[in-house]
Order: sequence, then structure tokens, then C-alpha cells
Amino acid sequence: MENEYSSRLGYRLLLIFTCLVITFLIAPLAILVVQSFTAESYLSFPPPSYGMRWYADVLNSADWQDSAGLSLLLACIVTPCSLAIGTMAAFALNRGPSRGRRAMYALMISPMVLPHIVLGLGIFRIALELNISDTMIAFVPAHLTITIPFVIITVGASLQSFDISMEEAAQSLGASKFGSVWYVTLPIIRPGLIAGAIFSFIISFDEFIITFFLATYSRTLPLEMFSTLMFQVKPSIAAVSSLTLAVTAGLTAILMFRGQVAGESGVIK
Amino acid sequence: MSDANQKFKAWWLLSPTLLLYSLTFLLPVLLLVVMSFAKFENSVTEFGFYLGNYRKVFGDGITLLIFWRTVKLSVYITVACVVLGFPVAMVMRRAGPRGRLWLLFFIVSPLLTSIIVRNVAWVLILGRSGIINDTLREWGLIASPLPLMYNSFGVVLAVVHVYMSFMVLPIYGALQAINPSTEEAAASLGASPLRVFWFVTLPQSLPGLAAGCTLVFILSMGVYLTPVIMGGNFVVTLPMLITDVVRNQYNWPTASAMSLMLLVAIGAMVLVSSVVQKFGGRH
Repeated sequence: MENEYSSRLGYRLLLIFTCLVITFLIAPLAILVVQSFTAESYLSFPPPSYGMRWYADVLNSADWQDSAGLSLLLACIVTPCSLAIGTMAAFALNRGPSRGRRAMYALMISPMVLPHIVLGLGIFRIALELNISDTMIAFVPAHLTITIPFVIITVGASLQSFDISMEEAAQSLGASKFGSVWYVTLPIIRPGLIAGAIFSFIISFDEFIITFFLATYSRTLPLEMFSTLMFQVKPSIAAVSSLTLAVTAGLTAILMFRGQVAGESGVIK
Repeated sequence: MSDANQKFKAWWLLSPTLLLYSLTFLLPVLLLVVMSFAKFENSVTEFGFYLGNYRKVFGDGITLLIFWRTVKLSVYITVACVVLGFPVAMVMRRAGPRGRLWLLFFIVSPLLTSIIVRNVAWVLILGRSGIINDTLREWGLIASPLPLMYNSFGVVLAVVHVYMSFMVLPIYGALQAINPSTEEAAASLGASPLRVFWFVTLPQSLPGLAAGCTLVFILSMGVYLTPVIMGGNFVVTLPMLITDVVRNQYNWPTASAMSLMLLVAIGAMVLVSSVVQKFGGRH
């Protein structure tokens, strides 16, 4: 009885602690968003008056427009490439011979373990040798290297629960190999594909250190935010941060919502 | 036979990834290894087998000091993540399905928000004219701002905020795999909740704990952005030093040697963790 009581008390303490930790995780972002709506020329909390002044400032600024444009363009090129290449690799690992599969899988996701600073340093050197350092020809493959492992993991997980006999059924009914994959397998593993695409987009959009090495004149959004932040902490940085937060939070919501919905309808009963 | 052939054919699908990795991952790392043995004199890199970079890195006193500071910070960060993350994982395990989904949402969503955005948030809170200092000054509790950032404290706090999720998820995974009847058995035999946790739950969750610690430690060793923003020039870490040596001194050989130092430290951590995981798995 005494144990029962102390166990319940212990759980209650854990619960309170957990709430504090969650607050620690969420509160800074909430405060940031509130501060971005200040109408003053300085940051304070709570702001004395509210307005959209800094959003207007940011959206009309050529610097922010250019860097956001570059980041979006980059993420929009990286995402489909990452999805295509990563899905191919996930299929190979799923369908290939079982001997050496584990070693190959480890190799395929190993860019995740390598610190990005080391990866960025190496890629920078190669790009310098090839004279492509400040171009898309360097940015895109560099970003792909860190996004593809995520696609391999998410699509690979979906493929693992996929019943291959459905693909074989389509083929025995006359579908080509490609057709059976395109019309049967891919729609069923859609949750994995969506997750892989969203991870790719967010990681590319948020990537800092590798691009920091490669870029001399080009500015992606994280680079522009970094240099602004190093210079001065102005309300505009809070507004840009909130906008970025809205993009990634929106995509995260899609990831959770779509992943769940598609995951439920994807199960064939 | 044809089936085996078919299976080997599937590996052709790996070729785009392998091609990409060889150019952007394997070759660069190999180049760093080669360059770490090159000679750098009068801004000219001369390839060869020269141990001077390593002698310099280990002998100049400063690099090693910065290396140990980076290790120390990473250990602080990892420990803080365990202390904050373990209880959350335990609550996640005991919560109902709805509560668990919400907790998962709160744990995962910061993972998907930009690191720089989260650092900006902390600058606005901990800075010299951040929320805490402003409020305390308004209330007349302090005369001059408290040093909350531009020191190790600010760096550790912000990195913990960024990497906490990587600790909670593996621990939660390991806790989920524990059969609750083992804990109930210990409790019914008279063990107090603390003893049950210490002797039954904790040992069984060791693989997840080791995985989380490895992940957080590795990420912390390589983090550049957060120490720069939160530490300024007051907390120099190895990644900051590497960046400076390359971008401002163009000394690739020394930077390469430092990068390998970082890689070896990370490799050692992975090795230790795999031993612990094997040992933990035997339970």
C-alpha cells in the first residue's frame, strides 16, 4: 500500500517535471513569435504595442527576398532529386541480396553520423578544385548528401511493411515491372515518400554549415539570418524567424497529419 | 539462379547514391586524411607524408585545450539531456495513447524547426537586454545584466534545447520494449519504486540510453552554429577553430588534422557505445 502511494506520488512528480521540460522546449518559440509582432523599433517582452510593421519591413526587403528565394529554389531542386535517388536506394536495399545488406545500409546512412562541419570542409575543398564552390552545382549535391539518408530511412521503413505479393499479383495480371511499382507499390508506401520529401525539404531549407563554407556571394536564408544576427538583434530577425517557423511548422503538421491518415488508409484489410 | 541474378540487379539502383557519395562524402573525407599529412608552408600546400600538423595540433597547447573543452561541453550537454529527457520518456511510456501522441508531437516538433530560429529565440531571452535581464532590471533586482549567454551556460542550454529530442526518442523506444511484468514482480516482492527503477527499469533501458547519449554526444561535438551565436568568441570549440583555420588562415593541412581529431573522438564514442549496447542487450 505504501509502495502504491509513493509510486503514484513519484509519477505525479514525473508529470510535473515533464510539463516543465515541454515548456522549456516550446516557450522560447512562442515568445519569439509574440515578439515578432512588436510595433516598436526594439525587442521587448511583452511588446508595448503590436503591429505588422516588421513583417512588412522583411517582406519588402530585397536582401530577405533574395535569400529566401535562393533557399526555396534550392529546397525545391533538392527535394525531388533526394526523393528519387533515395527511393531507388531504399528499393535496392529492400530487394537486393541479403548478404552485405547491413553493411551497405550502414554505408548509405553514414553521412548522418559524420559531423556536418567535416563533411562541409571536405566538400568545400572538392568544390574549390572543380571551381564550382559558389554555384548550385555545388549546393545541390552537398544538400543531397545529407537529405538522402533520411529518405532511405523513411521509405525503407515503409517498404519493410509492404507486402511484395501485391506487386507480383499486378505483374501476373500483365503489368510491366515498372508499371507494377508505379501503380501499386508507390501509392501504398506514400506515407514514407511524403515523410522523406518533407524531411528533405526542411533539412535543405535549414542547412547552414556546408553552405556557409561553399558560399562566397550567394546567401541562403540561414546565412542571411546568421549575418544579420551577428551584426545586430533587430525585430526583423524575429519576424523572419517566425516566418521560417511557420513554413517548417506547416510542413511538420502535414507530415504528422498526412502520415497518419495515409498510414491508416494504406493498410489493406 | 535467376532469382539471385534478379536480386543482384536490384543493387544497380544504388548507383546514383554511390556516385553522389563518392564525390561528396568518400572522396572529401579521403582528401582530408591525405591533406592532414601534407606540409603547409608560405601558404602553399605540399602533399607528402608529414607529421608536423599532428605535432602542432597536439603540441601547441591551445588546440588540445579547445578539444577538451569541446569534449567537456558535449559531456555536459549529454548529461543534461539525460536528466531532462529520461523522465519525459518514462511519462511517455505510462501515458495513454492520446497523451503519448501529444508528448510525441511536443518532442518531435522542435526537431523540425530551424536550429537558427531556436537560437534566435534564446538570444531574445538570455541576451544582455533579453527578457530575463530586462525584467529583473525593471524590478530593481539587479543593477547590471546577468551573464546568461556568451558563456558555457548559454551554449549548453541552447544545444540541449536543440538536441533533446534525440535523447528522448531512443530511451522511449527502449522503455517500450521492457516487459512491465518484470517491474511488477520486483514491486510485489517489496522493492520500493526507486529500487525498481534502479535495479529493473534502468538496466533494461541501457541500450536506448547508450544510443541516445551517442547521438547527442556526436551531434554536440560537431555543432558550430549554436556555440557561435550563444558563446560569441568567449566559448571557442573545435568546430569553430577548424572553420577559422580554413576560412581565415587557408591552412587546410592543420584544419584537416583537427577534423580527424574530431572524427577519432566520435569514432571512440561509437565504439564505447556499441560495447555498452552489446553488454546491455545481454540482460
